[in-house]
This record gives sequence, C-alpha cells and structure tokens, in this order.
Amino acid sequence: MHNYIFLISILLVTYYMVIVKRLPALVAGFRLQSLLLFLITASFAFHEKEAALYVVAVLILLLKVILIPNFLTGISRKIQVNENLGLFLNPQLSIFVVLILTYLSYLFTFKIMSFTDKMQSATFALTLCIVLTGLFIMIFRLKAISQIVGLLVMENGLFLLAVTMCKGMPFLVEMSIFLDVFISVIILGIFVYRINALFTHIDVNKLSNLRG
Amino acid sequence: MILFYILAVPIILSAISFFAKNLKALGRINAIGHLSVMLATFYFAITSKLPLNLFGLFYIDALSVFFIFVITIVTFAAALFSIDYINKDVSSGNIKEKKAKFYYALFNFFSFSMLLVPMVANLGMVWVGIELTTLASTFLVGFYNNKTSIEAAWKYIIICSVGIIFALLGTIIFYYAVSSAGLAKTLNWHQIVPFSKILDVNTVKIAFLFILVGYGTKAGLAPMHTWLPDAHSQAISPVSAMLSGVLLKTAIYAILRFTVITNNCVGVAYTSNLFILFGIISLIISCGFILVQKRIKRLLAYSSIEHVGIIVTGLGLGGFGWYGALLHIFNHAVTKSFMFFGAARVVKKYKKDNLNVIKGVLSAMPFCGVMLILGMFAISGMPPFSIFFSELFILISGFTQGRYFISGLVLTLLAIIFGAIVYHLSRILFGKKPQEIDKSAETLSTKLSFLFLLVLMCVVGIKVPIFLNKIILASLEILKGNYGL
Repeated sequence: MHNYIFLISILLVTYYMVIVKRLPALVAGFRLQSLLLFLITASFAFHEKEAALYVVAVLILLLKVILIPNFLTGISRKIQVNENLGLFLNPQLSIFVVLILTYLSYLFTFKIMSFTDKMQSATFALTLCIVLTGLFIMIFRLKAISQIVGLLVMENGLFLLAVTMCKGMPFLVEMSIFLDVFISVIILGIFVYRINALFTHIDVNKLSNLRG
Repeated sequence: MILFYILAVPIILSAISFFAKNLKALGRINAIGHLSVMLATFYFAITSKLPLNLFGLFYIDALSVFFIFVITIVTFAAALFSIDYINKDVSSGNIKEKKAKFYYALFNFFSFSMLLVPMVANLGMVWVGIELTTLASTFLVGFYNNKTSIEAAWKYIIICSVGIIFALLGTIIFYYAVSSAGLAKTLNWHQIVPFSKILDVNTVKIAFLFILVGYGTKAGLAPMHTWLPDAHSQAISPVSAMLSGVLLKTAIYAILRFTVITNNCVGVAYTSNLFILFGIISLIISCGFILVQKRIKRLLAYSSIEHVGIIVTGLGLGGFGWYGALLHIFNHAVTKSFMFFGAARVVKKYKKDNLNVIKGVLSAMPFCGVMLILGMFAISGMPPFSIFFSELFILISGFTQGRYFISGLVLTLLAIIFGAIVYHLSRILFGKKPQEIDKSAETLSTKLSFLFLLVLMCVVGIKVPIFLNKIILASLEILKGNYGL
C-alpha cells in the first residue's frame, strides 16, 4: 500500500516541477523526487531482501539527493544567472500538455504493453510519464541548467522502472550507470560555465550559430 | 592476454600524455602505440579461438573482432595524422602546449571507450561504454573553445544523452522480458540469445523500437541526426574522422546485438522494415542538405548520415545486403576518415571552410589535392574504390529480391549525391589559387596517413582480402542467429 503512496507523490512532484517558474524551485523539486526514489528503492530492498538494492538506495541518497542538487545550485549561484527559467509555455499550458502525456503513457501501457500485473502496469505508465515529462522540461525551458535537470528527471524515471520492474539491473551495470550519470553532470556543469563565459548568458534557444 | 594489451595501450598512452616533455615525441609514441594495437588485433583475430569468454565480463566473437578491427585502423590513421596537425596548431599559437597534451590524453581515452563497446559481454555494459564515448569526445568537439564549437558540444552531449536514455529504457524492457520469461537474471548477450524464442514477442518488439531510436540517435540516423553535422564539423579534425568513421559504427554494433535477439524472437520482417524506413529517411534528408551545402566539413558530415542510411538499408534488405552492409561499415570508416584528413588540411591552409570561397586547392597543395580528387570519387561510389562494391552488393540484394521501388529510390538518391559531391569539391579543387596562398608540401607522417587509407580503399575495391572476408562471413552467421561462432 505504501508503495502506491510513494508512486502517487512522485507523480505529484513531477507535476510540480512542470509549473515552477524559478531555477531553485526546479532543483528543489528534483531533490524531492530523488528523495522519493530513494524511499521506494529502500522499501523494495527491505521487502525483497536484496543487498544490492540497499547499495543502490544509498547511492541515490548520496548522489541524487545531496551532491548533484548542491552542485547545480552552486553553479547557478556562481555565475549569478537570472533565476527565471524562461518558459516557452506558461505553467497552465505546460501542466495541460503534461496531463496529456500522462494519459498517452497510460494508453500505451494498457493497450500495447499488456502486463498481467496491475501494479506493474501502473509503475510502467508512471515511469513513462516521468521520462516524457523530463523530455518536456528539456525542450520547453530555455536555461542550460534546466536542460540538465530535465535529463536527470528522465534518468530518475528509468531508475524507478529498473527498481520496480526488474528489482534493479545487474549490480556492476547499475554501479557503472551511476558513475556515468555523475560524470556527465559534471561535464555538463563545466560546459554551462563555458557557455556563460563565452555568450554571457545560458539561454539555449539563443545558441543558434550553426545551421544548415 | 592480447585482449588486455589492446585495452591497456590507450590507457597507458593517456597517462603518458600528461607527463610527456616533448610534444613531437609524444605524437610519434602515440602513433606507434596505436600501430601496435592494430597489429595485435590482427594477430588476435588470426590466432585465437572464437568466441572467447573471459570471467563473464568480456565476450568476443567474430562480430566484435570485426568492429575492433575497424576501430583500430581508423584510430591508427588518426594518430598518425594528429602528429603534424597538432604540431602546426601549437607552433602557429592556435593552442598551448599543455592543451595539446590534454588532446592526446582525451584522444586515447576516447579510443579506449570505443574499444570497450564491442568487447563487453553485458548489454548494460555496452550502454555504459557508448555513454562513455559521448563523455570522452565532448571535450574534443568543444576543443577550440570558441562560440561555435561550444554550441556544437552542448548540442552533442544533450541530444546524445537523451537518445541514449531511450536506449537504456529499451535495455531495461529487454531485461524485464528476460527476467519475466523465467530465465536467469542476466543481460549477458550470449546467455540470452539461445533462449530468445521464449521471450514475450510484444515486449521485445517495443524494447527494440526504443533501442533503435536511442542508439539510432548516436548512429546519426535521420530524423534524430540533428547533432551530427554540428559536432562533426566543429570537432578537431583528426577526431572528426574518428567520430564519422567509427563512433557511429559502435552505435550500429549495439543495434546489431539487439537485432539478433529480436530476429530470433519475432522474425526478420519486423526489424528489416524498421531498418529500411530509417535508412531511406536518412538518405533523403542527407541528399537535400548535401545539395545545398556551403561548408566542406558539414558536407562530409551529411555524407556520413547518407552512408549510415545505406548501411542500415542494407541491413534491412537482408541476405546479400547484410554482407554489403558489413563491408560498407569498413569501407565508409576508411574512406570518410581519408576525406576528413583532406578537408582538415584544406581548412588549415586556407583558414576558411566555405566551399564558395576556396579555390585552386590542386595548385596550392598538390599532394592533398590529388588525394581529395581520389577521395571525392571514392566517397561518392565510383569503381575501382571499395565503396562502389559494397553499395553494389546492397543494390543487387534489393533488385534480386524484387524490391524494385526501394532499390530504385536508393539508386536515384545515390546518383544525385554523387553529382552534388563532385560538383562541390571540384569547385574548390580547380581554378586559380589566390595570390596570398603559397604552394606547400605535406610532411611524411601526414602523407603516410593518407597513403595507408588509400591502399586499404583500393585493395578492398579490387578484392576483399581473405582475412576480412572470413571475419565478415563469420559475423554474418552470428547475425543469422548461429551464435556459437
């Protein structure tokens, strides 16, 4: 039962991330989402008695709840960027689009995937929705940092899928994926600095020198 | 043991780069190291008994050897070409010496990550390897740290990361299909293939779709190709050759591994229709952009999209087309690197890359000009060069199966692209050279890197060497599902 509560709250947090207008709120939303992911993983580890999942849960807590959000906040403080996200779609329209995405992932799961287990269908639809929402944030928010957050939201969706449907990936793979995610966030952070130094802004819609 | 040698050399060279005192010596050591890796791969392919399974971590069969071989050839050529290129960049004050060392370190880390992909047994680790190639090459794309290259690097890492997340989604769904079919919880390819018939058909189909879109982004398939022309044209030139020549192929390798499982499970028709669809879209889109292209490196980048389209169409046509597709992977890697080297020399000499402005390459740089003429005909598919024959195999396969519409369409597009490439390049090759450009010769290492690739282009065009033929035939058996080879 408590799993359902976690899943519903993770969906609500995802919706919250779509309607916020400021960068710190977006990062805070990501932190909260990762915290819920940590709780779900820990409860799965407890029920399935899988030692590997405990390690995964601790790494989620360490990387996605503490280190990465702190890193992102640090960047935005250091380059003193305008905190407004710059929305291509206003919050009302955004939430409307994301609700449609939710409905589509529901349709996809129940019409095409046809799981036998109800819980599995629900989690698959949910993770698909989170992945699509992450993509939405990447496309319709114009700050470079919000693109990083969108990417991380997509990754959170995949971790949730791996934990709930397959009880985690093979251990070595899972660890390497954590490493990859961490390195990629650092590299993206370095590029945010460089973009800011060269262009004196981090609005990705204005990166349009290369065409054709 | 040879296997570890192949993996260890790039790592060691990468470490040496930080401590090296003399830049010229470093470049030479780098080239010699990669030559030894190439020879080691050759020796490994001849002597060892395949498939080779080490500690459950590495799994090498003929398909892996084929891709490792292609990677080492292009890496060696790029290392050879880098010596003079980097030296000139440093002596002209374009980059600092410290940054040149950083270049060699990244170059080797990049080649290590590419070599890792075909060696690992686990499909999850294949994903990790491909993500590593992106991370390693991002700094090489943004190497010159100016506005255009940083923009290209940002687009590259963001779009490829999104694409590869969809590939991970596909991998997880595959894993779900395996674990819910009551098999052992594993993602090891050789353990899944024997049981692929009992996987759930529907789940595998959906997983493959995500895999194709995800890795297809990295392979440069249209319409997910938008990062490719930017990244390949802005990257430092020896790396452009590696990106176009082999990085795209590692993504195709990942798709091939999943294709084998999917074909065994749901039949060949499903994957082959998808392949043909994406292949034709890539050909059409690249054809349009090649026609109107104004910049030489972007022209070559779009030509890469075209060739990936041809490879994927060949994979879709099946039968003889598979042989053609694998051969084309080799031929395109060699020929496109060759062309990027030529373009790099021209851009460095004229300090511009606009096809409308550059004139008289043939009289200003005789050696490079001749190479570009040969490469121009090779890349657009003229005999006796190798690309002609692999394209011919793919077309024969299409026509003999009675798929006249698709084969005819491919043939038409190839003819248009041939005309466009020859038109664009002959504009810069001929004509009078500007007054301020002096006539210049190439250094020995640069000439060697050109000639090495030229020999491969011509030899494979005349007759596929027995060694290469044997690996490709063994790889074909693996693609058909005879995994024990």
